[in-house]
Amino acid sequence: MRKKNQMGGEEEEAAIDLTPMLDVVFIMLIFFIVTATFIKEAGIDVNRPFAPTSDEQADAAILVAISANDEIWIDRSLTDPPNVRNVIEKLHQENPKGSLVIQADENSTNEMLVIVMEAAKVAGVANVAIAALKD
Amino acid sequence: MSRKHDFSLGGPEEESSIDLTPMLDVVFIMLIFFIVTASFVKEAGIDVNRPDAPVTESKPEDANILIAIRQNDEIWIDRRLIDPQALRANIERLHAENPKGSVVIQANSKSTNKMLVKVMDSARQAGVYNISIAENRL
Repeated sequence: MRKKNQMGGEEEEAAIDLTPMLDVVFIMLIFFIVTATFIKEAGIDVNRPFAPTSDEQADAAILVAISANDEIWIDRSLTDPPNVRNVIEKLHQENPKGSLVIQADENSTNEMLVIVMEAAKVAGVANVAIAALKD
Repeated sequence: MSRKHDFSLGGPEEESSIDLTPMLDVVFIMLIFFIVTASFVKEAGIDVNRPDAPVTESKPEDANILIAIRQNDEIWIDRRLIDPQALRANIERLHAENPKGSVVIQANSKSTNKMLVKVMDSARQAGVYNISIAENRL
């Protein structure tokens, strides 16, 4: 047995070299860790207004939804208008580079929209967009 | 000398090659976790300028195209009621007169988001990508 080993033998040939697979797996792992953006979804589905010129918001991190009856939903919970700023601030700290997308229902009033935009501004969110339906 | 010693201990050759299987298990589980949690949310939207409410006043007023949305969703530009269909043409005309101007939408708090997005979309179709929103409590 030992002698075979010494002769460069069958034992080593039987074991497959895992190194290239490990490399690939690690690269995939690093890719998915780096691209993992934990988006805070709003939690409700709204009727987005139609706008053909809208473009995809790639770096969206926080989604704020405004329902048709003017309720504000952030991170799967109903939020009071005075409280919106605190919630956005807290979520923004987790991902300071991400932008905010307001998913406002087409029948919601612009009062709520402006409240959310003001809150986002005070919380220091760099980029605010209003969600729309592209087609 | 040392070689002989190693052999007598019974398999340092085998000991020197680390068993990678547990690490592979962990790495695969992490890989699967990150693949599963990778949420590629595609959200289409229109960018809005930061609503610098007090700063807007300091901008030269004549540099902006002001569009007002009333509470009954009527659109007014330059003291005239504008039909939503004619919005794009009107913004195009004003933009041609004043190519540097941005669009400022003064939306009443009771107006609907539908009309606001329609105005923003028309402005973008007219080639104005610089849009800000100001609240109008009238």
